Amino acid sequence: MTAVHQFVPALLPRDATGDHTRALRDAFRSAGWESDIYVEAAHDELQDEATYFEEYPARARPGDVLLYQLGTSSPVAEFLLGRAEPLVLDYHNVTPESFYEGWEDHTAVKVALARRQVAALAPKAVLGIADSAFNARELEELGCPATTVVPILVDLHVDADRVDGHERVRLAADHGASTVLLFVGRISPNKAHQRLVEALWIYRRIYDPGARLHFVGPAVTPAYADAVFAFADELGLADAVRHGEDLTEAELAAWYQDADVFVCLSEHEGFCIPLLEAMQAGTPIVALDAGAVGETLADAGILLPTARPATVAAAVARIRGDTALAHRLADAGRRRLADFAAPITRQRFVDVLAGVADAERGVA
Amino acid sequence: MSPDVPAPDGGPDADVTSDVADRIRYLDEVMAEIDAEVRRRRASGDLPAGLEQELDELFLEFSPVGLQGRARLRETLSLVDGSAYVDIAVPTSSNKAVGSYVKRAIRKGLGWYMNFVVAQIVKFAWSVSRMFHVVVDHIEDLEATVEANRSPDLPSGLVPATPTGSTWWAPAAVDALVGVSDRVVVGDCGDGSLVEALTAAGVDAYGIDPSDIALEPALDRGADVRAEPVLGHLAVVSDEALGGIVLTGSVQWLRPNERVRLLDLASTRLVVDGILVLHSSSPAAWAATASPVVRDLAPGQPLHPETWAHLLRSRGFTVTATIFGGDDRQLARVGAGAADAAEVNAAIDAINDLLLGPTEYLVVATRER
Repeated sequence: MTAVHQFVPALLPRDATGDHTRALRDAFRSAGWESDIYVEAAHDELQDEATYFEEYPARARPGDVLLYQLGTSSPVAEFLLGRAEPLVLDYHNVTPESFYEGWEDHTAVKVALARRQVAALAPKAVLGIADSAFNARELEELGCPATTVVPILVDLHVDADRVDGHERVRLAADHGASTVLLFVGRISPNKAHQRLVEALWIYRRIYDPGARLHFVGPAVTPAYADAVFAFADELGLADAVRHGEDLTEAELAAWYQDADVFVCLSEHEGFCIPLLEAMQAGTPIVALDAGAVGETLADAGILLPTARPATVAAAVARIRGDTALAHRLADAGRRRLADFAAPITRQRFVDVLAGVADAERGVA
Repeated sequence: MSPDVPAPDGGPDADVTSDVADRIRYLDEVMAEIDAEVRRRRASGDLPAGLEQELDELFLEFSPVGLQGRARLRETLSLVDGSAYVDIAVPTSSNKAVGSYVKRAIRKGLGWYMNFVVAQIVKFAWSVSRMFHVVVDHIEDLEATVEANRSPDLPSGLVPATPTGSTWWAPAAVDALVGVSDRVVVGDCGDGSLVEALTAAGVDAYGIDPSDIALEPALDRGADVRAEPVLGHLAVVSDEALGGIVLTGSVQWLRPNERVRLLDLASTRLVVDGILVLHSSSPAAWAATASPVVRDLAPGQPLHPETWAHLLRSRGFTVTATIFGGDDRQLARVGAGAADAAEVNAAIDAINDLLLGPTEYLVVATRER
């Protein structure tokens, strides 16, 4: 029987990598395979679904294929380097350390270690699966002998029941006629939240003095988050910048639907799931063409070659002033979203891993 | 890599392909309109020059990355101070009752051991922190001394614009660089005319300029230019990576120490046999034509071509040409029939030699070693 076991540094609920790992496990089991999840750490809620990675050798069977969910540094990487089973990397990208230097030096050290681990694992892997061609190129440059692109497995449904009605009404009451810009993602230097603040300031100065900016996401780099909010205060935007944290999935859906434009000025993204969430909500997208953003977005939004605030503000104004364009982008988003439909992605993973298992067994 | 990237509406169907092409063309049109809107706002004064840069600089004031000198040292020091304390009270909360009980038991059982180790770690950390305080205090004293002797920057609004369009010296610069096989950088390239002239002559040239506004015409024409100051750019270029360097504009009013740094960088970034082309106003023309405010506040002033030649030779260059140009300011001699013509013309010649003459010059030098 085919057995594909996954290794992941941390298995967390309501986390993109955690959800992806568990969904893949279910897909592999549905295909009739054995599939377990091995971790360095698991959240209390998911303890029953995970096994400590050092227990794997006692359970190893001939023919096992190991799939490593790679997005951060972990002793799991060192462990897998010492294993003889065929290794497949599922690479979600590691943010370059340069983004953290000065802001959070210990995180810079951690991501630098992660990049070294990617470099060590890439040549050993029989296959690298990447969320995007951008990520695949990184794996290839590090010596991965073969790569394929399969998007991250996200379960996005257009379902009105998944929107928090109370939150939607509350946000609508605040919204009024002014523009609301939204960005969703960790508050971290590579996400360039300060560029969003700059764009808001210019937008209010030229187009709409009542415009507001909504950030949603945890402040994972506190020094950077503090700087962004202090910057907004200095520009007189304290009341115009709102931060949503610890939102439920339904509340987040309401924030997406409330926004007039989703603006992403991230300087480094390996895939960018929030783009898909914005597409799902029908929110028009303006995004900087950086990392894998252009690839994920395709023609479903306005892709900017620069994050200069005047250009960003003009792009937002263009959408706000042209309902037909806004509808066109929303329609394009919904079309693009279909390319990432979970059943298609799920089957792609099964096919790719079946190919690896067959090759290892010598099946033609 | 296999071609598995989900493409928008991918597929062989010709109608679908055409539909995608239409959508991409439409988005290109929208992007062109956005660019036009930004240009229009700039031209109307809604977006004053330098506004976006001021926003960037303001953010840096809140950033440990952007903090300079004293503020950055103090910020880092506060991080050291903040992490010099080690808390031995390990959190014991858990989602499971038994988990919390086990954690409390471990903390209680290991408390004596942790206390002993942590006390030594904290003592060491505070010693290190104290040492850093002494070092930072010393550095701040040094900075205060240096600051007292520093000349101020030339206010950005007063920086003379780099001449744009064709200049008298551009053909001579192109002649000097034709045939150079390595990359050639044009510093303070302005509207990119010289970069384009060099490219047209088969030279692999690119331009840099500290003003992104000045670069806009070049960017619109698709020239290979980027917004960077000369010193900052040369600092990150590899040794012997350039076949030629063209210097103009700000090279004229650099501080003496910046000028030394520029020449040191130029002499290491050029390949052996690489060409340096330097354009400058003459000191006399600068004194006569620059505004009094600029002359008084500029941290440095143009040098004589002989001085540049001296500085270049000391760094292993051979000066192959010095070409004068620009306006040739001369007092006309009086006719031979005028009264005291000989004496008057002798005085005019002396004035022409000492105070007037060509307003600009070009020095061409080759790196010999």
